[in-house]
Amino acid sequence: MLVLELALFYRSWLLRLVQSVKQGMLAFVLGLLLWTSVIPTVTADSVQVIINAEQSTNTLSAAQLRRIFTMRQRQWPDGSLIHVYVMPNNDPLHQHFAKSQLQLYPYQLERVWNKLVYSGMGERPTEVYSQAKMLEKVASTPGAIGYISVTEQGIDGLINVSIEEGNP
Amino acid sequence: MRQLIVLLATLLSVSSSVWAESEKTPVVHGFISQGVARASHSNFINDSGNISAALTEAGINMSYQFSPSLRLATQAVYLDGGNRYPDGARLDYLFLDWTAWQTEQWQFNVHLGRFKNYHWLHSATRDVPHTRPSIVLPQSVYFDGFRDFSKGNDGIALVAKGESAALEWDIHWSYGRTEVNRSLTRSLLSAQAQGELEQVFDHQFSVFVRPQDGNSQFGLSLVDSDFRYEPSSLDIFFKGGAVTQRAILSYRYSMADWEFSSEALYDRTYFKDLLFPGFERDTRGQGIYFQGRWFVDDKLTLLARLDLFDTDKDDRNGSIIFEQSGGQIPNYFAYMDDFTFGASYDFANHWQVKAELHRFRGIARLTPVFIPNTQVNDREYWNLWAVQLIHWF
Repeated sequence: MLVLELALFYRSWLLRLVQSVKQGMLAFVLGLLLWTSVIPTVTADSVQVIINAEQSTNTLSAAQLRRIFTMRQRQWPDGSLIHVYVMPNNDPLHQHFAKSQLQLYPYQLERVWNKLVYSGMGERPTEVYSQAKMLEKVASTPGAIGYISVTEQGIDGLINVSIEEGNP
Repeated sequence: MRQLIVLLATLLSVSSSVWAESEKTPVVHGFISQGVARASHSNFINDSGNISAALTEAGINMSYQFSPSLRLATQAVYLDGGNRYPDGARLDYLFLDWTAWQTEQWQFNVHLGRFKNYHWLHSATRDVPHTRPSIVLPQSVYFDGFRDFSKGNDGIALVAKGESAALEWDIHWSYGRTEVNRSLTRSLLSAQAQGELEQVFDHQFSVFVRPQDGNSQFGLSLVDSDFRYEPSSLDIFFKGGAVTQRAILSYRYSMADWEFSSEALYDRTYFKDLLFPGFERDTRGQGIYFQGRWFVDDKLTLLARLDLFDTDKDDRNGSIIFEQSGGQIPNYFAYMDDFTFGASYDFANHWQVKAELHRFRGIARLTPVFIPNTQVNDREYWNLWAVQLIHWF
C-alpha cells in the first residue's frame, strides 16, 4: 500500500516538475550539465601519507585511509586516538590528496567534517597552514596522521605509509 | 534560559577541572551571522511585510575527549528568525558520546543527553548557516515552524557507521522528547492558545547508504511522534492530542562542479479533540524538493531548487479546506511550492555571504499551523529575498 502511495506521489510531483521546468528551470539545468567537467586526472604517487613513528604500521588500505580522514575511524588498532592533520580546504595539495587518495571532492570532505563539528558527533581534523608545520605536528603528536608532497624532505619521528588498494 | 545557563556553567566547570587534571584542551568552534530578509504579503518573517533584520544565527560549541571511547559535546545557539520560530538562546545539544564497540570496519556509538536530529540530509546542521545550501531550507521537509521539534531530542541515540565490500553505511536510531514552551505552542496552534502542549515521545530511525566506488547517496528516514494538549481554564482549544508520522526518502549525487539532491516526504498528521470533543482530522501530506548546486569555482556556488508541498494529498487544490472553513481559509493554504535561486560566495577564509530569491505559490508551511493567519497572507503568489553574512571559526 505504501509502495503504491509513493508511486502515485512521485507521478504527481513529476508532472508538476515538468511544468516548472518549462517555466524557467530549464536554463539552469542545461547550464549545470554543460558545466559538468571531468575530474582532473591526478596521480596518487605525488602525495605521501605520513604517520607518527610511535605507530607500528607502515601500510594502510585505501578504505582505512578514507575512514580515518572522514573521521569514521577514531582509534588505531591498539586503541589509541587518531589525530588527523590536513591542509586548508583550498590548498592544492589538500585538493589533490582528497581526490587522488580518498576519491572524494574537497567540498564533500568539508561537509562531512562540518556535520561532525556542528552536530557534536565528532571532531574535524586539525588544520595546518604549511607542510613544515604538518611535518612538525605529525612527528610530535602520538597517533598523528597527515600528508605531504613527495618532494618535501622528511624529518625524524615519521613513518612514510604506503596505501594498498581494497578493504579493509 | 536559566536551565541553559545552569547546564553550561556545570559543563564548563566539569570540563575545566578535568582539563586541568589531564592538560588536554577542549575543542571549540562557532559561527555568527546576520542577515536581512523580506517576505511580501506573507507572515513568514513578520506581519508587516517590511524588510527585517530578524535573521540572526550564532552558536558556540565545545567537545572534550575524556578517553579514547568517551567524549562530551555541547553547543549553545542564539536564533532570531522572526515568525519562523521562537527567538532566543537555546542549549542546542549536550550529550555524552560513548564508543561502545569498534571493529576494523564498524563503529557503534551511544549518545545520551540532548542530541541533534541526524536523520535527514540537513537536519543536524540546519541552524549553521555556512553548512546549509541556502538561507531558507526547503520548507516541505525543513518546515521552520517545526524546527524546535525536529532539531533533536532529550533522550538516547544509537549511531552505527561502517562499511561492507561495496557500501558505506550510516544507521541512526533515537528516542526522546522535546520540551515545548509557551511561544512554540502559540506558534504551532494559534496566538490564542493558553494551554500546555507536550511532546510525549519522538521516535526516529534512518539509514544512509553510499556505494564505495560512486558519488551517490541514498537515504530513508522514519519518524513517529505523539503530542498532547492540556487546555487552560480560558482557552479556545480542548484537551486533545496529535500524532505525526513521516517517511523521508533522500538522494544525493555529487560531482566535481555540481551536485544534485532531493528529499521526498510522506507525512501523516492526526489531530484529535483539539477543536471540540470528538473532533478528528487525519491528513496525508506529501512534499519533495529537487536541488541543483553549481560550484562555479572555489568561492562561488549557485543554487536552483524547486520545492513542492501539499498538506493533504486528497485535497491538493485546497477545495476541501475552503469548504470546511466556510470560505474563511482560502484554498492556497493547502499547498506551498517554492522556486529558489541563490548564490553563496566565500570572500575570505571562514567568511561567506549568501543571497537568494524565492517565488512561492501557496501558504501551507507558515505558522501558526493549526489556525492560520488569513489576514496577512492574502495572496497565493508571494516573494521572499534574503541576504546573510556569515563568519565561522
